[in-house]
Amino acid sequence: MLFLAYSVLFLALFYLHFSLAHRAWITIRGKRSSELDMSYVRLEDYFGQSFRRKLKYWLATLPAASNSTANLRVFHHGQERIFVAPSVQYPSGRVEKEILVTEGTFSCGNNCDFRREVMVHGDCSIGAGTTLQALAADGALNLGEAVTIRRWVDAVGKLTIGADTVISSRATSRTAIELLPRAYAQSLFAPEIATEGRNDDSPELSTNSGPVLQIPHRPGDPEKAQHGFDPQKLFSMGGGTYTYEGDLDITTPLHLRAPLVVRGHFSCAKESLLEGDLKAHRNITIGPTSVVKGNLVCDGDMLLKPDVYFQSILQAGGTMRLSFGVRGLREKRPVAAHATGVLTLESNIVINGKVSSALRVIAISTPLAWLRPHSTRS
Amino acid sequence: MAITALIIFSWTLIGIAMVVLSAYAVRHYYLAYSRLRIAHPRETDELVGFVMPRITVFIPMHNEERVARDVLQAIVDCDYDWELLEVIPVNDRSTDSTRAIVDDFARRYPFIKPYHRSEGSGGKPAALIEATVNATGEIYLMFDADYVPGRAVLKMLTAPFLDPEIGAVMGRVVPHNIGDSLLSCLLSLERSAGYQSVQQARYNLGFTAQFGGTVGGVRAAALRAVGGWNPESLTEDTDITFALLLNGWRTAYVNRAECYEEVPQDWGVRRRQLSRWVTGHTECLHNYWPDLVRARCLTRSEKWDAIFLLAMYLTAPVIVLGWLASLVLFFVPEAHAVPVLPIAMLIIGYQLFSNQATFLEIGVATLLDGTRLRALLMPLSLFNFFANTAAICNALRKFYWNRFWGSGGDGWYKTHRTRPGPDDQGFGLNQAPSEATRQSLKGLYRANNQGMGD
Repeated sequence: MLFLAYSVLFLALFYLHFSLAHRAWITIRGKRSSELDMSYVRLEDYFGQSFRRKLKYWLATLPAASNSTANLRVFHHGQERIFVAPSVQYPSGRVEKEILVTEGTFSCGNNCDFRREVMVHGDCSIGAGTTLQALAADGALNLGEAVTIRRWVDAVGKLTIGADTVISSRATSRTAIELLPRAYAQSLFAPEIATEGRNDDSPELSTNSGPVLQIPHRPGDPEKAQHGFDPQKLFSMGGGTYTYEGDLDITTPLHLRAPLVVRGHFSCAKESLLEGDLKAHRNITIGPTSVVKGNLVCDGDMLLKPDVYFQSILQAGGTMRLSFGVRGLREKRPVAAHATGVLTLESNIVINGKVSSALRVIAISTPLAWLRPHSTRS
Repeated sequence: MAITALIIFSWTLIGIAMVVLSAYAVRHYYLAYSRLRIAHPRETDELVGFVMPRITVFIPMHNEERVARDVLQAIVDCDYDWELLEVIPVNDRSTDSTRAIVDDFARRYPFIKPYHRSEGSGGKPAALIEATVNATGEIYLMFDADYVPGRAVLKMLTAPFLDPEIGAVMGRVVPHNIGDSLLSCLLSLERSAGYQSVQQARYNLGFTAQFGGTVGGVRAAALRAVGGWNPESLTEDTDITFALLLNGWRTAYVNRAECYEEVPQDWGVRRRQLSRWVTGHTECLHNYWPDLVRARCLTRSEKWDAIFLLAMYLTAPVIVLGWLASLVLFFVPEAHAVPVLPIAMLIIGYQLFSNQATFLEIGVATLLDGTRLRALLMPLSLFNFFANTAAICNALRKFYWNRFWGSGGDGWYKTHRTRPGPDDQGFGLNQAPSEATRQSLKGLYRANNQGMGD
């Protein structure tokens, strides 16, 4: 009898170890995985599109509340209230706690606080020092100085991001984005992204930049190290791709004609032409007025010196800095620059596509030393 | 004298087991910790500005009538440009209606070009070698026939190739049949830990990810450069990972490139699947460890990581030998003469430290995936652990026996599919799901693609 009691006690204690697991299994049994999302595709302006779609559905299906007026319709969605108004102008310092939809233009004075999302079907202007949760505009959108967007902002028209403005997540526009100094966001996506001081004059090219170094070598090229390149350190990985052991600091214009992996730092002189994809295990520095047609990838920091023109994707495992006059343009197709660290945009930068960082993309005023026509050519 | 020798031998075995398993435990802890610590995991799947190359998708099939429609329709529904897409279903000597299903798709979609194989040696590598001859893509993607790729997977698996050092890419495997059996649910925990924790952590740390031929891609030029698929290997994916690595090519991992898999639902199927992996993996260890040790293109930590990865199945016999040695010491009175307390403390400390390590990886994965209910099943993984240990030991015994006597291995074993086929009454992924099921699956399969293509 005692043995039986001990056995039961032992089994009960043993089961206790697995009781939570047993209950969890009863809940899961017969069900399919909940995290399946087969239809997932990546959309850069997903937040704006999703918000618009949800709002449209709510406004089409929810009845207007009885306290609605001709100028202000009110809808209840669970605990939330949605205010729908024609054109609206908010005075300075106003606090709004409800979701706001304006069917025309919208503007607000300085230091307002919008604690829920705002949808504007016309043009929109936000006063300095205002804080918003998220904002979607079907027209042009002008964010004043030192505005704070806690989440995302999306515009159909041109989006101007004022100086010192902070956008915690994405800024997207279907037309263009202008980023003023010290403003930052986590990512920017638009057919055209520009920083202040845009100047579309072509940069001057020097008449004599020195001999052009070819990688890979052509028959007849010298076999000894010169201009920072040692042919003995260049190996074929097969498949037309090459690897270079150690740092590669080229002091003359480079013509890169094949994919290259550099197991160290890489830098090239001004007016280089990079047609092949390039990967560096450490930092990449591209000389002024170079043309980059291949993709650039590095595990360290990336610096594009003034007036570099790129037509590809840039990816840096560290920080990235795009100097004065950098252009990222490609016919019929966007380009992209992504950094795991801070991505810094100087003045007079135009990029058609996407600029993003795991931390932040920040615009700065270009230091005077970099401005043309002083030291940009060296 | 003999008793003393036995005691010394047993203590030595226990010591070896503790050292080896502690080393693996340190690795598990480090990977789990680093996966949580790095706020911004390494991503190489930028899609904006990505110039889509021409790709060839291979789907090896051997008697896959239950699942063939699902995978083909899912690939048709992907958002990749059809002009740049070539799909080669490799029908390897099927005797069921796989051929008819594949041909039906080929009639409807001109980019589907079946390769029917009626003779030659069996197995996936042999079929792939033949099918690759006619492929025109710059990138080869591969899916197992029971996998269902998500809509964006083709682009996501191709995008990392913008890095010229990337020779292969691996996506994430997510089981979809977690509720069908306790085993499939426990395997889903194992998969989460393997991909969400370990693969991503290793990739974040700069180690090469392990390429899997079930959902992955390889650069055609890189594959040619290393001599193509190894027809002798049972795990051609592991083999190609290390062949590429030794030639300077890396393998990228894309956690968001999800592909939905049917994991085994009974222990017999699981045991045979595991047996094939163990044999292939250990074969790769024997083939590649000398080259890995000598490789100049790898850092010391990369070499250690690669050896740890390839030798991981050897931990199972080490554990078993440790247990046997413990039993010997327990039952031999002469062994009790040694100071028991410090040794007991050492063993308890080791048990607390080492045995929890893999559970930590599962915990990290469930935390990141937000599947906390499933995390409660972790104690049941104990049974899975015992079953795996037995299966691995048995597979290794066979492997070394065959190796010693120079006889051939078990050959290729095809994993049994349990998904209801088109003629069954159950819910196959190729069947139009009910509205309730569609909602619960967030649109798994066709829900948002009605009428597309056909």
